[in-house]
Amino acid sequence: MRLPRIFRTTPFRLTLLFLALFASAASAFLAYIYVATAGEATRRTDQEIMREMRSLTAAYDRAGMDAVNQSLIERAASEKPFLYLLMNGEGKRISGSIEESPVEKFAGAPTWTTFSVTDQDAQGRPFRHPARGLQERLTGGQILFVGADIGEDEAYVFKIVRALWGAGALVIVLGLAGGVLVSRNVTRSMVGLTDVVDAVRNGDLGARAHVRGTKDEFDELAGGVNEMLDRLERSMAGHRHAGDAIAHDLRSPLTRLRARLEVAYLDVEAGKGDPTQALAQALDDTDGVLKTFGAVLSIARLQAAGTAPDPVIFDPAELAADIAELYEPLSEDKGIDFAAEYARDLTVRGNREFLAQALANILDNAVKYTPAGGAIMLRVRRRSSGEIEFSVTDTGPGVPDEDRERVIQRFVRLENSRSEPGAGLGLSLVGAVAEAHGGRLELDEGPGRVGESGPGLRVALILPRPA
Amino acid sequence: MRILIVEDDLEAADAMERGLIEAGHDCTRAADGELGLAAARGGEFDVMIVDRMMPKMNGVQLIETLRREGDQTPVLFLSALGEVGDRVAGLQAGGDDYLVKPYAFAELSARVEALARRRETGSVQTLLRVGELEMDLIGRAVHRQGKEIDLQPREFQLLEFMMRHAGQSVTRTMLLEKVWEYHFDPQTNVIDVHISRLRAKIDKGFDRPMLQTVRGAGYRLDA
Repeated sequence: MRLPRIFRTTPFRLTLLFLALFASAASAFLAYIYVATAGEATRRTDQEIMREMRSLTAAYDRAGMDAVNQSLIERAASEKPFLYLLMNGEGKRISGSIEESPVEKFAGAPTWTTFSVTDQDAQGRPFRHPARGLQERLTGGQILFVGADIGEDEAYVFKIVRALWGAGALVIVLGLAGGVLVSRNVTRSMVGLTDVVDAVRNGDLGARAHVRGTKDEFDELAGGVNEMLDRLERSMAGHRHAGDAIAHDLRSPLTRLRARLEVAYLDVEAGKGDPTQALAQALDDTDGVLKTFGAVLSIARLQAAGTAPDPVIFDPAELAADIAELYEPLSEDKGIDFAAEYARDLTVRGNREFLAQALANILDNAVKYTPAGGAIMLRVRRRSSGEIEFSVTDTGPGVPDEDRERVIQRFVRLENSRSEPGAGLGLSLVGAVAEAHGGRLELDEGPGRVGESGPGLRVALILPRPA
Repeated sequence: MRILIVEDDLEAADAMERGLIEAGHDCTRAADGELGLAAARGGEFDVMIVDRMMPKMNGVQLIETLRREGDQTPVLFLSALGEVGDRVAGLQAGGDDYLVKPYAFAELSARVEALARRRETGSVQTLLRVGELEMDLIGRAVHRQGKEIDLQPREFQLLEFMMRHAGQSVTRTMLLEKVWEYHFDPQTNVIDVHISRLRAKIDKGFDRPMLQTVRGAGYRLDA
């Protein structure tokens, strides 16, 4: 039989455990109270009986039977009388307030007994109380019994016992109720997460946990799970897209390569034509395929790793100046004005090689798409948010607003750039590098229409504020 | 030159050996790390070409062992792993250069030549001389036929590298790695522009060009 879900939750089990511990402690405490109070009442009664017995035996020893009888008469008039019975040596009643001794077998030594007496309540109905007594033989051979009603003691103990049971029951009920409440609360918080895990296990990567905004540890967990799923989904989408894109982008050069080799083979076999040209072209095509493959691999590895390997702390301006020096001649040769502006005394933490490549890719694109007579501006600065920004602004045709998201994806090349060399992986790699550093890539419009080339483009690689 | 090729891909080793023999070198081959170690211990080589991933003993272990034994033969690692970390690990193990597969034979051959050459020039030189060209490394000055040539710092480094490897083919990737210290592959051949600027400075106005373009390989500085 399976227990209802609420009884199987960890908080509920923990509650039961705590309840058990608490109940043991409470029963030990209550048992002590019981022993201390109930036992104390009986002991006190016994002492009183004993004292009375001593006082009577002392009277007997001093002045004989008459003294005892005198004492009994005096005592019968008191408010709360003891029970007395004076018997001769054979156990026959001489005098007293009860008819016969409750002690059944009397061997002569002082004997304690617990018995009950019948009394009448206010309405005249008979009722029985418990009583306790002591029977002793007097020095003259007579037998004396002294007893006391312990009904009040019993009632007192009974009250205490009832209170103790009540307290115990309350502990258990409150504990269970608390356990149910806590586990329901926790369970409600967990159910959302469990559902998300189930959904993801069943293949729905889009499932997200509900963040309640309470900012407690469950919210933190839900947020963490969501973030993890976001990354996972992006990475999976990246891999899926890469698979399709590799197939697509490697297929065409491989097809061309195969066709060239086939033609060359046929030509050579027919004894006509020079295969060298075809082979040289085939080698070029192979290099192109390998280059694409290398870039895809770099992106995939960065995305799979999620973080930049071997990070170091360095001056971003120095890196930018280095890459600018590599690209400046290229830009000048093309008749493009190249300017740079570096903020000083900045530091970033990252993989220098990957960041250098990212910056090179951005500059490469800028030089490629900016027409002669245009301008390129490279800038390194700290944003007011503390983030470090590398930006390259050009006066080329720009990228239409609706295409900006898309050009960062792998292999996307806009129609008008198909004639330029490249596999369309440049900005994807920049995006992957930015993401691996916890940063991002931003594309905006450039400075406006310069000449007739277009609005220009501003590409910014933004790295988080160094810790 | 005597070259030891330690490579478990037999077809790749065949192609490499054929090319190197054609270029006038003597080649010895080993098909795994243990055989490679035995061959390296048993013979004198000018350069070793070692694949990183091999059965029995991998390339890094092989070179670490040899280096511990005091063998200083220049080593070119070949690897399908091209990440920065892999390259650094290879160089730390005692490799002198690192080439990622697949590679063009021209690239391999240029690097092997460069490695062997580095070993020959033992003493520190302050003056480099290639034909009419003179470079004073301390005075940071370059002269051709006694005429001073004014170079930017990077052009100076570029020319220094070409002069140290005069007569050898030097690939664009080698230049990017050794002069600029970048290990990525730029989409555009930025190196060509730098070379053509350098060429304009050292060859323009002289009767004979020294800085040659080697088809399919890269560049070469001839005396």
